[in-house]
Amino acid sequence: MKCRFFISLLALMLLTAAAEGQPATDDLVSSCVLSAGENTTYLKDFRVQLPKAATDAAPPVYKANMYLMKNMKYRFSICNAPGSRGELAITIYDQGKELISSYNSSTGKKYNSIDFICNKTGLYTLWYGFVNGEQGSGVGVVCMIR
Amino acid sequence: MTTILKLVYQHNRLMTGTISKIPAVILLVFVCSCGNSSMRHGGLSFPVADSVPAGEAEKLSEEAVADIVQNIASPVEIASILQSMQVPFSAGYLAPTHEADRLTTNFQKAVMLGIYGADLGYLNIYEKTGNSVDVLATIKRLADGLRVGQYFDFETLKRLSVSKTNLDSLLFLSVNSYNQIDRYLRENNRGSISALMIAGVWIEGQYLATQVALTNNESILRDRIGEQKVIIGDLLMLLRPYRDSGEEYASLYSLMEGLSQKYAGVKVSYRLGEPETTEEDGRLVMVQHEESIVEMSDSQLAEIAEMSKEVRNKLISGN
Repeated sequence: MKCRFFISLLALMLLTAAAEGQPATDDLVSSCVLSAGENTTYLKDFRVQLPKAATDAAPPVYKANMYLMKNMKYRFSICNAPGSRGELAITIYDQGKELISSYNSSTGKKYNSIDFICNKTGLYTLWYGFVNGEQGSGVGVVCMIR
Repeated sequence: MTTILKLVYQHNRLMTGTISKIPAVILLVFVCSCGNSSMRHGGLSFPVADSVPAGEAEKLSEEAVADIVQNIASPVEIASILQSMQVPFSAGYLAPTHEADRLTTNFQKAVMLGIYGADLGYLNIYEKTGNSVDVLATIKRLADGLRVGQYFDFETLKRLSVSKTNLDSLLFLSVNSYNQIDRYLRENNRGSISALMIAGVWIEGQYLATQVALTNNESILRDRIGEQKVIIGDLLMLLRPYRDSGEEYASLYSLMEGLSQKYAGVKVSYRLGEPETTEEDGRLVMVQHEESIVEMSDSQLAEIAEMSKEVRNKLISGN
């Protein structure tokens, strides 16, 4: 009986913690949508949480495929969760070829958003990762520019 | 966007927190009572399963499905194109809501949830928000019927629709509700329902675009319709694992295959070009010069429009 009680307590604690985590992410999504600015319409969000890169290993990335359409303008915004060690970056790939990244590793320059004027309808891959393979959490928001 | 968006999320935060804690309490009750034989034999009722066994979805891995479905169909993009073309709003394009009460199967509810979602996007983009309350109420009923109503904050959406004060917040909240429903369904082995909802959004957007294109020869719209040749293949792949799950699924798959065949003669080619990158107001801006080019004749468009209408109307009629 004692054992069952502790299992129940643990389950309750874990699920309550999970329940607390969700609204925080929702808040981050809404603030990130706000940061996308006027004349934008929200389309999609990606919630990213990644561990620190292991030594001599490629930095972990979160990949998502997304159809982007010709004649549309998209804004890709990235926002770091409060307390995130790493800074989120996005790289857009078209059939394995890198198109653009919010982080320039050679200059160290970072951008909080990318506007993409799309002329080719297709399935693009969005890579979300943290600069220098740091551990971190954040959200990526995709909006349509009106 | 303004503080209303923040208020919406403060409200949602409370809602989500409360809702998310419910499973914890249920689990606690269940674990505490698992030694009680009277509870084990009929004391708890489980929700009615979707008509597709969870194992069916394994034919297409979860990862692959997730890869396919991201933004395969947005409830607002087509409407946005129509608005930018200054096409007048027409309530005649909307699916009727009066028959929604007679939808009995999860298949019908899921497809119609998608169809009404696209209609809601159309209404909101055109700021016909006063007219959208009926659609909102129908969506809420269907979402509740599919046990995903917790992601659809009807009261806030209704308030924003009626007050017409903040279109951005309304658009955000409605699209976000669909995204959350989709995410929840996929994470909870209900991929068939997610696939049907996505198919519903897509077919209603396709219906809207093709009906307008029949009387409006704008190249942007024609291109968009022609480019669906690329997307319909993925949509079929999304639906394929469920096609043997029942008559309704088989019928939908067959209809979509028929529509896909109408695209056989449409050509999509690509012209290479180097992208141009600049910095504007602290943002990185990329203009893509590689281009997709659609070749589609008037007769092909007419056939696609006719078939799209047929598929959409069959889904609405539930036959």
